[in-house]
Amino acid sequence: MTVLKLPTFSPSTLTNAASLLRILALAAIAGAAISSRLFAVVNFESIIHEFDPWFNYRATRVLASQGFTEFWNWFDPTAWYPLGRVVGGTIYPGLMATSGVIYNILHALHLPVDIRNVCVLLAPGFSGLTAWATYMLTKELKDESAGLLAAIFIGIAPGYISRSVAGSYDNEAIAIFLLMITFYIWIRALKDGSVLYGTLAAVFYYYMVAAWGGYAFITNMIPLHAFVLLLMGRFSHRLYSAYSAWYAVGTLASMQVPFVGFQPVQTSEHMAALGVFGLLQLIAFVEIVRSYVASKQFQVMLRWFLVASGIAGGLAIVGLTITKTIAPWTGRFYSLWDTGYAKKYIPIIASVSEHQPTAWPAFFMDLHMLIFLFPAGVILCFKELREEHVFVIIYAVMASYFAGVMVRLMLTLTPVVCMAAAIALSSLLDTYLSVEEPARPDSNGVDETSAPGADVPAEVTVSKKKKKDVAAAAAAAAAHSAATTATKAKTKPSATYGIFGLDTRLVVIVNAIFMLVMFVLHCTWVTSSAYSSPSVVLASRRPDGSQNIIDDFREAYYWLRQNTPQDAVVMSWWDYGYQIAGMADRPTLVDNNTWNNTHIATVGKAMSSSEEVSYPILRKHDVDYILIIFGGLIGYSGDDINKFLWMVRIAQGVWPDEIKEPNYFTPRGEYKVDDQASEAMKNSLMYKMSYYRFNELFSGSPAFDRVRNQQLPREGPKLDYIEEAFTSENWIVRIYEVKKEDPLGRDLKTANAFDGGKKRKPSKPTSRRRALTA
Amino acid sequence: MQLLPGLLLTLLACLGSVVAQASHAELVRLAASNGGVIKLTPTLFNALTAPNREWSAAIQLTALSPQFRCSPCTEFNPSFKAVAKAWSKVPAEQRDQHFFATLDFLEGQDIFKRLGLSSAPVLQFYPALEGPHVKPKSQRLEFSYDFNRHGFAADGLAHDLSSHTPVPIPFTPPFNWQPWFFGATFLLLSAIAGRFAWMYLGEIIMNRWLWAVLTVVLSLVMTSGYMFVQIRGMPYSQRGSMIAGGFQNQYGIETNLVAALYGLLGSAYLALILLVPRIPSPTRQRASIYLWTGIVFVLFSILLSFFRIKNGGYPFKLLL
Repeated sequence: MTVLKLPTFSPSTLTNAASLLRILALAAIAGAAISSRLFAVVNFESIIHEFDPWFNYRATRVLASQGFTEFWNWFDPTAWYPLGRVVGGTIYPGLMATSGVIYNILHALHLPVDIRNVCVLLAPGFSGLTAWATYMLTKELKDESAGLLAAIFIGIAPGYISRSVAGSYDNEAIAIFLLMITFYIWIRALKDGSVLYGTLAAVFYYYMVAAWGGYAFITNMIPLHAFVLLLMGRFSHRLYSAYSAWYAVGTLASMQVPFVGFQPVQTSEHMAALGVFGLLQLIAFVEIVRSYVASKQFQVMLRWFLVASGIAGGLAIVGLTITKTIAPWTGRFYSLWDTGYAKKYIPIIASVSEHQPTAWPAFFMDLHMLIFLFPAGVILCFKELREEHVFVIIYAVMASYFAGVMVRLMLTLTPVVCMAAAIALSSLLDTYLSVEEPARPDSNGVDETSAPGADVPAEVTVSKKKKKDVAAAAAAAAAHSAATTATKAKTKPSATYGIFGLDTRLVVIVNAIFMLVMFVLHCTWVTSSAYSSPSVVLASRRPDGSQNIIDDFREAYYWLRQNTPQDAVVMSWWDYGYQIAGMADRPTLVDNNTWNNTHIATVGKAMSSSEEVSYPILRKHDVDYILIIFGGLIGYSGDDINKFLWMVRIAQGVWPDEIKEPNYFTPRGEYKVDDQASEAMKNSLMYKMSYYRFNELFSGSPAFDRVRNQQLPREGPKLDYIEEAFTSENWIVRIYEVKKEDPLGRDLKTANAFDGGKKRKPSKPTSRRRALTA
Repeated sequence: MQLLPGLLLTLLACLGSVVAQASHAELVRLAASNGGVIKLTPTLFNALTAPNREWSAAIQLTALSPQFRCSPCTEFNPSFKAVAKAWSKVPAEQRDQHFFATLDFLEGQDIFKRLGLSSAPVLQFYPALEGPHVKPKSQRLEFSYDFNRHGFAADGLAHDLSSHTPVPIPFTPPFNWQPWFFGATFLLLSAIAGRFAWMYLGEIIMNRWLWAVLTVVLSLVMTSGYMFVQIRGMPYSQRGSMIAGGFQNQYGIETNLVAALYGLLGSAYLALILLVPRIPSPTRQRASIYLWTGIVFVLFSILLSFFRIKNGGYPFKLLL
């Protein structure tokens, strides 16, 4: 029995039409994924965003212009001055290599594309591939229609867009694609027990290791999956072949990345994979022996052998960890479990905003309706519970914990949420789009006519109209499967359960489509308003609603580039190191590759001490210019005074006797910059540089800091050892020049006082100041 | 004649040092009699922090009596005592140059007032100002122990104080047998219990729906900001308001509300997918479809309005 008659086609026509529709839908999804990431280019311009991407871009330029060998051996003397940085051995080169290859291919085809545009558009391009990989993986879990839904979800979910808009040229740009494709091939390898697919998974795993530090997620997810399958008593030779192939090839391959080196056999993060590998070998061995020797006693003995060698292996790993042969968990990894650890021991990790825990609005913002379809999808996975569903369940648990601990790891949660939500939504559509109607329990079939016939064309047009949408593709696929079952059903009696009537179907379908529309609107709004700002260029609204572009950063960096000698060392807080190197092309003391805590603490100490204390530090490090970010004039809250406490904390970690955090608070424990500010605060170099000459802007009335909403002291700070060199249009970036030692051997404070006492002397050195007012 | 004032001065100085000596001996005796911690009175406090002291002192200013309900005080007191006890094991020569002392609010309200303290506990460090062991002026700072930085635990305290005491405090945290003991007992008991319960409980442990519920509850709780509340130590609710202002902020109760909303919405969909098609009667089925769809619609409106409170600029809304 069916609620409405569908036109009948031959099965081959249906299959062909469905596969054509699928291809069209996938292409449309890739297009949607790419174009929704172009807001940043449309609103601003084709520019590299934020901080880390600037380094990746700089490295890629080296790779593209000098070739891979030069890039591999690149020693950068301008970073971490005067230490320098061995770049080739301290990065994940996958991202740069990818853009390098694309750049070379395009040039081989005589398409003269600028390397910058390759870098800017890499992330959107790979998001299309991510959508495809998610489609393939979800197809293994349920069917094609769920796959298409998952693909469009991952394509436009803000949780993934936040890290992959055009210009956000970071490792995550390609890493999520690699994550999904590795998982997909792993599932294929496990399903088929194929050594070929296992090796292919290892190859993509290698690519992932070369591309992102988060590869440890795969390194632990696949063994965990294998281990849970073992616990569920689902050992099979398919598992054995797939896992052994993946582990052996993948580990050897991953050790070829210089930055990883021998870690896969020496650190605790990788021991789970090794342990499961050993366990699988033991179990396989026992299985083989058991198949030849059937005696009962022997089997008991084998079981004990298995237990004993398992315990022995576990103890061996523990013993090696205690004797330090295996390095313990690294701080970054450990802080995921012991959440108080980073704050106490590695403030530099805790200070990064993307390492903060996630509050619930962030989840809803990034995933919208997917977040509540997600548990429903997980339950449906439990209903099936094949091997691949176990994988999704483990993935769901781990990723939701990690995303709760660190905002940044929302990125790993998004794919699994998309898959589970797609399973749930596609099950719903399957149920309510099927034209099958169960047999009525009461035999008087008069009720059947109550289903209004007028609704039939309406329902069809609804699904026709949405053809470009996924819902339509899913509907088509579902209709197709329903139609094929319908042809079969001719011979069989009607299904025992299903949905009665048309209006019921319509209500649910319309509600689902409504939700999808809300989701699309939400994603568009979030992407355009929250995730498409390059943070190098800021936008604000004028009172009349027109857009005001604040371009202080580039203004200041180009000033440095054009007005200072090539080897002038610039000191700034580490956040701006990559940007200075990338845009101003000047040596920096510290940058976003935070490998040397002491060096960062040195900068922190120089910023938080008084001028007299800082000056020797500055001179010893050959600092010529100091660059700070100040938002007090236009209310830019991400400025250095707001980050100042982290500088103090990090400096305190190294010099606990000289820098003390409580000294920077008022006696009542408040963080203030006004009259009540503590002495240490007022005397610190950072405070003085931020507010130097600030009250001159207010012509007599007291200066007002718009970020901290406080009035500043009437008397502004005085500088003796450094002098103002440049201040950008909105005062966001201020650059100071460090004075050289006094030629007469006086200390600079006395010299300055001497000069100040003879104000009318014509030889007053004011040339630089005049340059500013001009 | 001219000798006389000089003589007097010397005498006075001797007398002064004798007084100091006497009170030093007294302090040593007091410390030894109370496990290394001197129980202070206002007069003793003044003697201990006299401006001519030849010793340093770490003084805990606290409010231990139950009427003040100062739970940090009671939390910190054992750590302080443990560190003081560790200090009493140092050879007498160095030990007597540094004292641990405690002053309760009940005993010395005037001292609290004089120091301008409005909260407890406070641990104040007074360096030696005179005598042979005095440190160079730059390191001779009075400071109060930073609880935020070093925490309430004894090892943090010992570690921080060690850089100011004459010799480092030989504090080793007592080996904590408790978790090992209970852990071992628990493992043993559960192994035995598991062995015997397997025939009865095996069904339950192997039941996939038990695991499904556990998994879903865990992911619901995690995606509703539970870890945020835990890590930041957010209160369950504050001053009657249930919703914290600000996008990157939330209270404990919000975790429950949001997890419940997500859970209800998810189960509404599950009901539509799994339960509704199995209802054999068309009328009842139709009613439940309309009911569940309505529930989805209403709950989603509530969720959106909830989100609009957190994010003022959010442009979309339904019903509410």
